[in-house]
Amino acid sequence: MLFKNDQAARAQHNAVRTNIGWYKWTHDLVEVKGKDAAGFLDYLYVNAIAKAGIGRSKYTTMLNDAGQIIDDVIVTHIGEDYYWISTLYAPQLIAWMDQKKDGRDVTYQDITSEVDMYAVQGPNSRALINSLAAAPVDGMKRFMMIDSVIDGIAVKVHKSGFTGEEGYEIYCAMSDSGSIRNAIVNAGKALNAVELTILEVYVRSLPVEKGFALRQDLYGLSPYEADLDWSVDLSKNFAGKEAVLRVKEEGSQYKLVGIEYEAESYEDIAQRERVYYQGVDVGFVRAAIYGYTADKNIGFAVVESSKVPIGSKVTVGENRSPAKIVNRIWV
Amino acid sequence: MPLKDKLDMYKGVETVWGKIIPEKEAYKYALRQISSFCANLFQVMRILEPDYEKRTEAICEIAYDMNMSASSEEYLNSYYDEWNIPEFCERSSWLGAIFGDSGDEYENMAGRVIQFTRDRVEKELDTCPWDIVGSELCNMTTAMFTANFDLCSVNNTENEVSLNMCEARGCGDMHCRVVAERRDVFNLPKQGWLDHMGTPARECHVTPRERMVKEGQLLRNGVYSNAFGEEKTLEWAYRWVAEKGWVWSVSFPLVAIRDMASSDEEFERIFKIVFSTAGKNAFIDPFAVEGMRSWLGVPREIDDNDGRLMGGYIKTQLDTQLVPNELVRFDADEVRIKVQPESFNGRFPMAPIDELTTGFEALWHNMVKTMVSPEWSCWFEGKDDDDMFIIVGKKIDKKMI
Repeated sequence: MLFKNDQAARAQHNAVRTNIGWYKWTHDLVEVKGKDAAGFLDYLYVNAIAKAGIGRSKYTTMLNDAGQIIDDVIVTHIGEDYYWISTLYAPQLIAWMDQKKDGRDVTYQDITSEVDMYAVQGPNSRALINSLAAAPVDGMKRFMMIDSVIDGIAVKVHKSGFTGEEGYEIYCAMSDSGSIRNAIVNAGKALNAVELTILEVYVRSLPVEKGFALRQDLYGLSPYEADLDWSVDLSKNFAGKEAVLRVKEEGSQYKLVGIEYEAESYEDIAQRERVYYQGVDVGFVRAAIYGYTADKNIGFAVVESSKVPIGSKVTVGENRSPAKIVNRIWV
Repeated sequence: MPLKDKLDMYKGVETVWGKIIPEKEAYKYALRQISSFCANLFQVMRILEPDYEKRTEAICEIAYDMNMSASSEEYLNSYYDEWNIPEFCERSSWLGAIFGDSGDEYENMAGRVIQFTRDRVEKELDTCPWDIVGSELCNMTTAMFTANFDLCSVNNTENEVSLNMCEARGCGDMHCRVVAERRDVFNLPKQGWLDHMGTPARECHVTPRERMVKEGQLLRNGVYSNAFGEEKTLEWAYRWVAEKGWVWSVSFPLVAIRDMASSDEEFERIFKIVFSTAGKNAFIDPFAVEGMRSWLGVPREIDDNDGRLMGGYIKTQLDTQLVPNELVRFDADEVRIKVQPESFNGRFPMAPIDELTTGFEALWHNMVKTMVSPEWSCWFEGKDDDDMFIIVGKKIDKKMI
């Protein structure tokens, strides 16, 4: 829970929006190898993973057989028949892979404990990376990964992030994590980079303002209900395709939308609080957080889209907190 | 437009007279009944140990030890998996707080995590079904939290936090508030059992009254959702509290309270007196009986001196507490309900509480005197058998206490 008057959270948030903020964050990481790796991942995910060249990554969702989102990940093509999957739920992913492997020539393992990651985010993040890493990143495109060196340590630099600003992720061996951290601290001093320590700032406040959802926000929806149509490659086969095609054809009842709260704070609103339109239950909240750039309490909700079009005035929870349904982006 | 085929189906407890108590109401009622049993037990404790500090320390120590021994590494690991707590998530205060937050919500302790950072966690409650018990219990819960934090500590030995329940509704405060602050960051000392109701280092955020909630997430939204988005249904939570609510608030302190008595006989004598008094007082007001009749849907044909009033009440108690039972007789002369001591006492099978039989027999035997009339009694038969019978009938006993 973040509040408007939390100056520490505001300072960390603003560092990313206006300069540079960095934080240690290791998603769970699953390594996938083998002759059938690309084909297997193409089957698991809705996006065209096999089309990603070496050094490129793709955002994608993973569906269950009912066509509902059960994970969203970044898949990076590390090398020949070799991929990394960045997920928050490696044990679940591996269990799902076991179910879907079906004799393919592929191996996979959870390498979370072996690889660490630092995110460097903000409009001046490129300058910090260039001062740190041997390989300049000026020409890098989003979702591109390169090999580089920091203080003699081999790293991978990925142009990506979860803040909506230009940003980079530095992957290193876990044993090198302390050295990389020191390098970031030292190089960051000259550029006034700020270390983010408040989880909700970099997991919620910053991403939500840009419309970035966590898996928990998308869980159970179809990609079409979550405005992720662009990521679905219908020209290939993938798990859940048949079901999701039905949703596409029949239209979906629900939609993930933005919600703005009129009250100064949102203490009475939990992640599954009910949303009411004219006193009638039309859906539920998925996230609520203070956005320090938007300067208001914002979040996501899953609502019956036909009943509450964008702009609808609604109330949330038993205290009937006034709110408005809006597009899922604020900044 | 054709008519719909049938009514929508919802879960509930049906009383003997056909009134449906909805699942949410039954869950809330069961919680309060567990709390009430706990409150009676704590009166026993106050008689046995007049010194507040001594008795509080005693139940804190036992609750800590029991919580530690009940939570093996295997148990905790399964908890992490169940909640999908990401591997990056450092143990220590974070996970201890998630552990506590889920338990709060299962037990309809309505509130919120105000702050959830590596260095500081603040949890605020607007309601607590156990707010009738007394602050010894509030202290005891901090001992249980200490165990949670110790179990989740980085070095697997001792936690890194200072833990303060700086507000408690049982003490008359508007909120309950527990704050865990990292000792090294805030330069705080390690605490003893009675030091956990102090003031936190950093200022708290107090939710204003108009934004307080009256029910926990399970009653408000039908699910509990944790910080990582994992969810538990009301059905799951109801079952959880029907087992474990008895464990932490009755079974744990009971171990220490029994030790406060000079003998088992002395404990049992005082225990029965306290529960008898509570039973006699439960329906002393005539409008309490009227309220109960309305709640259970008792028809007017059942007059005021009919043992079925008590029998129907007990049946509903058992059903709302998810105790398997069978009505084997229900007429104007007698009510006979069959239960199994294994499930009646062993709500959580690993920690059976024989005192449930003793307590409820004393409670209900005296309750029937004011709910119905002194002609009626309630007693249990077959306490040591596979089947036990709860009987409401007429009995003359010249030594009736």
